[in-house]
Amino acid sequence: MFTDAFLRKLDVLALAARNRAHGQLRGTHRSRRVGTGMVFADYRPYAEGDDIRHIDWGIYLRMDRLILRLFEEEADQPVYLFVDSSLSMDFGQPNKLDYARRLAGALAYVALLNHDRVNVSSFAESLGDMLPTRRGRNQAPQVFRFLEGIEARGRTSLSAAMRRYFAAPRTRGLVVLISDFLDPAGLEEAIAVLRRFRHDVALMQVISPEEIDPQLPEEAVLVDAEEGSATEVEITPGLLEAYRSTFERHAQDIESYCRKYGWGYARALTSVAIEDIVLKMLREEGLLR
Amino acid sequence: MTLLGLTPAAAWVLLAGVAGLVLLLYLIKPSPRRVAVSSSLIWQRVLKQRQRKPERWRWWVSLLLALAIGLAIALALTRPELAAVAGSADDVLIVVDTSPSMGARGADGRTRLEHAVIEVERIAAAAGGGSRFMLADTTHQIGAPVFAPREAVGARARALLPAAAERAWFPDLAALPGLRAQRQVWFVTDGVSPVQAPAGARTVSVFRNAENVGITAFDVRAAPGDPRRHDAFVQIGNASAGNKTVQLRVAGVGGEPVDRSLRLDAGASANVVVDISGLGEGPVRASVASEGDGLALDDVAFGFLPAKSRVRVALVTPGNPTLARALRMLPRVDLQLLPPGRLAGISGFDAVVLDRVTLEKPPGLPSLLIAPRASAWLGRAGGELADTNVAAWDASHPLLARAGLRDVLIERVQPLRPTEQGGVRLSAIARGPQDEPLMLATREGPRIAVVAFALEASNFAQQPSFPAFLANTVNWLTRETGAVPHRLGQVSVPAKARVLDLDGAEVATREVPGGAVFEARRPGLYTAMTSTERLRIAANLLDPRITAVNASTLAATPPTAPPARAGIAARVDPWIVLLAAAVLLLALEWWTYNRRVTL
Repeated sequence: MFTDAFLRKLDVLALAARNRAHGQLRGTHRSRRVGTGMVFADYRPYAEGDDIRHIDWGIYLRMDRLILRLFEEEADQPVYLFVDSSLSMDFGQPNKLDYARRLAGALAYVALLNHDRVNVSSFAESLGDMLPTRRGRNQAPQVFRFLEGIEARGRTSLSAAMRRYFAAPRTRGLVVLISDFLDPAGLEEAIAVLRRFRHDVALMQVISPEEIDPQLPEEAVLVDAEEGSATEVEITPGLLEAYRSTFERHAQDIESYCRKYGWGYARALTSVAIEDIVLKMLREEGLLR
Repeated sequence: MTLLGLTPAAAWVLLAGVAGLVLLLYLIKPSPRRVAVSSSLIWQRVLKQRQRKPERWRWWVSLLLALAIGLAIALALTRPELAAVAGSADDVLIVVDTSPSMGARGADGRTRLEHAVIEVERIAAAAGGGSRFMLADTTHQIGAPVFAPREAVGARARALLPAAAERAWFPDLAALPGLRAQRQVWFVTDGVSPVQAPAGARTVSVFRNAENVGITAFDVRAAPGDPRRHDAFVQIGNASAGNKTVQLRVAGVGGEPVDRSLRLDAGASANVVVDISGLGEGPVRASVASEGDGLALDDVAFGFLPAKSRVRVALVTPGNPTLARALRMLPRVDLQLLPPGRLAGISGFDAVVLDRVTLEKPPGLPSLLIAPRASAWLGRAGGELADTNVAAWDASHPLLARAGLRDVLIERVQPLRPTEQGGVRLSAIARGPQDEPLMLATREGPRIAVVAFALEASNFAQQPSFPAFLANTVNWLTRETGAVPHRLGQVSVPAKARVLDLDGAEVATREVPGGAVFEARRPGLYTAMTSTERLRIAANLLDPRITAVNASTLAATPPTAPPARAGIAARVDPWIVLLAAAVLLLALEWWTYNRRVTL
């Protein structure tokens, strides 16, 4: 899926969590728990049973009081990667689904490197294939194989997929949605589900150049890849311009949602090399560090 | 509106066809291509937001534009005319006088014909838009006038040459194909030619004064009483406005040219006789030169000096002193009289004259038969006629060159029948009022001439033309003919004759019923050859009326100028406007199509 050179470049990256990690296992993310971490968090009076190694002896000598130094505990972070496998993703050159697979693979690899718990799922009309939680670098090949096995089918229903996935108890974590977000039902319901569980969310919108600037004959019957419906359209410069602006507005709406809720957003144009997206855009966006 | 390009019915068919074709093309427009998109979600939003143009309305606009373009082009092909827009669309017939005097060069260095071309172009430029132009000339160089576009008229006029013709006349308007009643008829002339334009024709004068000295008559004759001497008779006219010093030169074969210088007053003419005995048998060329001469066509004349040897002629007659005396007077003739009884086995003569002798078969020697009795090979045509005359004769035949028969009266005659008996093909060369053959002669094969009437039954022997006829006959029978004089223009020659000019170049001939013709456009000595005979033709202008290039009926009339046109807009033909409109509509269609206003 990736070259060794690219993987070496990923070795130095880590997923940046906007919220404190809620993982139960030791990891690299700051968590709300205090304990045996390296980062100083607070002071509190010593209580019986506390670890005397954390008593601040300097304060005791100055103030004759036993004060305990508290440290933030570093935990792992659950990462939920969702790859849109609807038929609308099976489009464009390079293929959008293929692009989404590689993007998900890169993020999963970075997460596994940093001992995060990685969950990968595909979705279309509903939840599709799911890869059980993986942790550790040695799980990367399984993740890659899973991603390569995802096939395009069905329509897009983001809300149905989210509802179904988060119906089960999930530790709060980072949810990464990789999709074209061409969902007739819109994003609101899916976003509501994610907000309800207060996940850290990042949306990656995969866009083909043909979608931004379609090359169409003057008269055409547009056949929807998902619905199969046909729409006869006379392509005029005005109509094309309206299409472009509507498409841009559609992308901007998605970005606005993300900004509104402090989520991450990245627009992944399939004509841009995946290396550039991962190494530059996602770092600039703050999704990777 | 009138249609110049097509008949109204054809135009309607064309317009209907174009409209039908355009409509059909719109009706059979192919269905749009199916294109897969990832999702029609965005498209549906766009189409929902954007009010789509009413397709039917756009379809109609497209159809109307296409119809307008197609019909404009089709209508342009019909070449419509709107008198209110481009002036009246007339048929413009321009007749150019191409008589030789049109070749006269004026003081400005241009010939009258060159001025005529300018006038033709002016007339064409001034005519209404969509007018049709037909160019004709008075010497029929344009054999079958046809309509031509405005731009081509000048070029056609430039191809015309000043030319002499046997007969020049104004074209018969009724005979010109397709000439409509709404027409303009122009006659561009110098007024020298006697050709008259019909009523209603407008005459444009191209007359300019020109200097001209020319030969108005030329002949080569044997000197009376001495067959070994020959004279050239030259008549020279001065048509210039002033006196002229004229250099005359008569040149021929085998001797020194004879030069004379003479001074001629304005309008005067002079007869000059030049002894050309020093020249040998062959062409004789007379030429005049004077300062500032404007017409070259009449500056030269050609003749032919025949052989000067004597010929032996037998006259077989029961008695005819008049004929015997006339034959003896011919300079080259050694005459021997024979009674009819000695006809059998006659030999040793160059020619035989048989007067009232019966011949059972064609004669073996070149012969002139006068009033022969009927026989198996020479039949009579009808009964005897009394008190008749010669109504028509073939002056191109060597026998009748310079031998007019107009005043010949005949008391009684038994007309002859043209025959082809015995390998002799006799054809009529002179006929009576009822077309009855009175003289016959062969044109090919054995040389035999027949005069149907007896000399004592007519006044032919008393006519001035009789000695010329006898001299021609003897020359012809002995194959020592001079040149047949002929005017410039169309010359008749025997069928399948090959015609050469003096330089030996072949002249194109045209077969006509009964023979062939060729065009003698410049003075010259032409030789027409068939398998059996050789005919020399001296084609000369020799016309005092043409030499008098300033004797114009239009001399006192100021030149008529063609009317100027109303304005530049009027010069645009409707078909050009229609084509321009079609181009504009095409541009509009392209513009609207690219902006998706039209389909």
